[in-house]
Amino acid sequence: MTNNAVIDARPKKKRRKIASLDRRKARAGWFFVLPFVLGFLLIYIPMFIDSVVMSFQTMDAAVDGSSGYIMTFVGIENYRNALLVDPDFAQTLVTGLKQLAFDVPAILIFSLFMAVMLNQKMAGRGFFRAIFFLPVILATGIMESIAAADTLNAAMSAGIDDGSGTNTTNQIVSSMDFERLFSNMKVGTELVEYVTSAINNIYDIVNRSGVQMLIFLAALQSISPAIYESCKIDGATAWETFWKITFPMISPMILVNAVYTIIDSFTTESNQVMTYISSVYSRTGGMVVSSAMSWIYFLLVIVIVAVIAGIFSAFVFYGRKND
Amino acid sequence: MNAQADKQPVIKRESKKRIRVEFDRTPLKDRLKAKFLNTYFLTRVVIWIFRLVLMVGISYIVLYPFFTKIAGSFMAPEDLVDVTVRLIPKNFSLDIYKAIIAENGYWKAFGNTFALSFICAILQTFVCCLIGYGFAKFKFKGRNLLFLLVMLTMIIPHQTLQLSMYMEFRYFDILGIVRLLKGGGIELFGWNVKEIGPGVASFFEKLNILPDVIPITEKGIEVTPQGINLLNTYTPLILLSLGGLAFKNGLYIFLLRQFFRGMPDELEESAYMDGCGPFRTFIQIILPNSIPMLITVFLFAFCWQWTDDFYTGMFFSSMNTSLLVKIVSVPPSLTTNFAGTELYNTAIRNTCGLMIIFPLVILYAFCQNFLVQGIEHSGIAN
Repeated sequence: MTNNAVIDARPKKKRRKIASLDRRKARAGWFFVLPFVLGFLLIYIPMFIDSVVMSFQTMDAAVDGSSGYIMTFVGIENYRNALLVDPDFAQTLVTGLKQLAFDVPAILIFSLFMAVMLNQKMAGRGFFRAIFFLPVILATGIMESIAAADTLNAAMSAGIDDGSGTNTTNQIVSSMDFERLFSNMKVGTELVEYVTSAINNIYDIVNRSGVQMLIFLAALQSISPAIYESCKIDGATAWETFWKITFPMISPMILVNAVYTIIDSFTTESNQVMTYISSVYSRTGGMVVSSAMSWIYFLLVIVIVAVIAGIFSAFVFYGRKND
Repeated sequence: MNAQADKQPVIKRESKKRIRVEFDRTPLKDRLKAKFLNTYFLTRVVIWIFRLVLMVGISYIVLYPFFTKIAGSFMAPEDLVDVTVRLIPKNFSLDIYKAIIAENGYWKAFGNTFALSFICAILQTFVCCLIGYGFAKFKFKGRNLLFLLVMLTMIIPHQTLQLSMYMEFRYFDILGIVRLLKGGGIELFGWNVKEIGPGVASFFEKLNILPDVIPITEKGIEVTPQGINLLNTYTPLILLSLGGLAFKNGLYIFLLRQFFRGMPDELEESAYMDGCGPFRTFIQIILPNSIPMLITVFLFAFCWQWTDDFYTGMFFSSMNTSLLVKIVSVPPSLTTNFAGTELYNTAIRNTCGLMIIFPLVILYAFCQNFLVQGIEHSGIAN
């Protein structure tokens, strides 16, 4: 009888132990993410709510001379000001979006191309890698604003084309060259213009594609060489291998990079809309209006990110589906 | 069977001889032709040249602005208006560097920025590591929702929160505690709560490491009924780093999460078997195994904090705090009044930029190997 009881008790005990391990692990998980949870609840949420609330208010310095502010609720007036009264905001927003539509494909294609290049074995690979990732580290924050005001750069490269009469000081290629090159091929002028301006903006594009390059490189390195080997044995060319193997294998990272690029170019300080919002922020009484503007802007970002992520994820190939 | 096996080397030797004879008989010209004039070799050469040109070209594009900055920094004012001077200065001078070091307080700013960036980078690396590990290896309710929130903090542009972030730390007050304490002198468990206000302030003053380097304000930290004024201290950035909310921390958390996901579960399981708790496993097993990735994240955090002018501009509004991003100005002794003033001022500003990033270049030279390594082995594509 006692023996029986022991046998009965054993599985029960075991089951409880497993459950408690799971629970313990879940609890440990919460502990690990606790810094974020606390920071989010105590710092971020109040900030977030304040920002939303402030965008519906006006702000005046307190009359009694103390350093406080008086907030008055004005409803959607700030939003109305931003969209309808402010002459430049809506226009800046549109040009900003156009710029984005131009930048994101250029950055994605360039970083993928460079990652494929850097993934090949060649002399001086480490050296070139070090140079290409240099802007990620160095060309941020204060350096960006210094570079924006850098008239010396233009002055030093000026004069190269003095004889030609065109003022192509900073341009590496002029669209004329390209039009000549493309004139025999039946390619639309839009494409020619796109390529030309992409090449003229190459410094900007290189500067902003560092992280994407890193992510693509990591993805490329994680593709098993055995797949390439079997392709080679079957007689596939490099071109075919790229489209049939490399491209599908890294398509999840293309999605990640697309989203990252959009967010990055939306939030970078050199972005036109961001610059405009900052300039509004430093105007008198412009703080709340700039809050409202940046909320409008943020909603646009969210919608665009969602749409693009939705479209892309339909084409993404997931090799193995784990969780 | 045996005889056949014995024969094989003989055949090999014979064919070898035949090849040698054939080789000797063909003239050198034909041999070179056969070697170098086939499509395989030619395509390889073309690809090699194309790649080299492309690589060198893009390197040039990346480095050219730095070249002009470096060249401009050694020029005397005359050189900048001289049309014949392009990249190599005629009158070599170190005036700009000397003036920036002497008049803009370079070394003090350097010390402050180093302390700030180092503390923030260490904290951010560790905190993001914890958070990323929690998201990667533990299953708990609300994990996906929480991760979505992490992504949200990355998507919301920081300009959106600029005003409220400023207000948050200008009148710092978690859950209205300070307001409660300062508002009424409530007796709490026989303890006069009014005394706590300054106590809290002195706690934050202690948090502000290296108080000599950055003077807070003349009066110390100010506690008003609305909250504590934390501006012009390290505290806002430290608090943001502790919460994993500072600049680009969402990206670090994402990278680290992917990295830890790529680590085999067996590593932890065996540690659990040996009686390690999750935290000891994390410290003793996981962290030592992820050093390249940690260095990568540290490098990002350090460099981006070093050059960041958004947060530092917002939180360090006082004029007498010296940080590297604030030294960008024309030193008084160099203000000139001749034709090329504007160019010269640009050259000075560029030189400031160069001096700001110079320590980062050295750091990068040492760490760039880890940068690629860390991400390469991250299994990010899993």
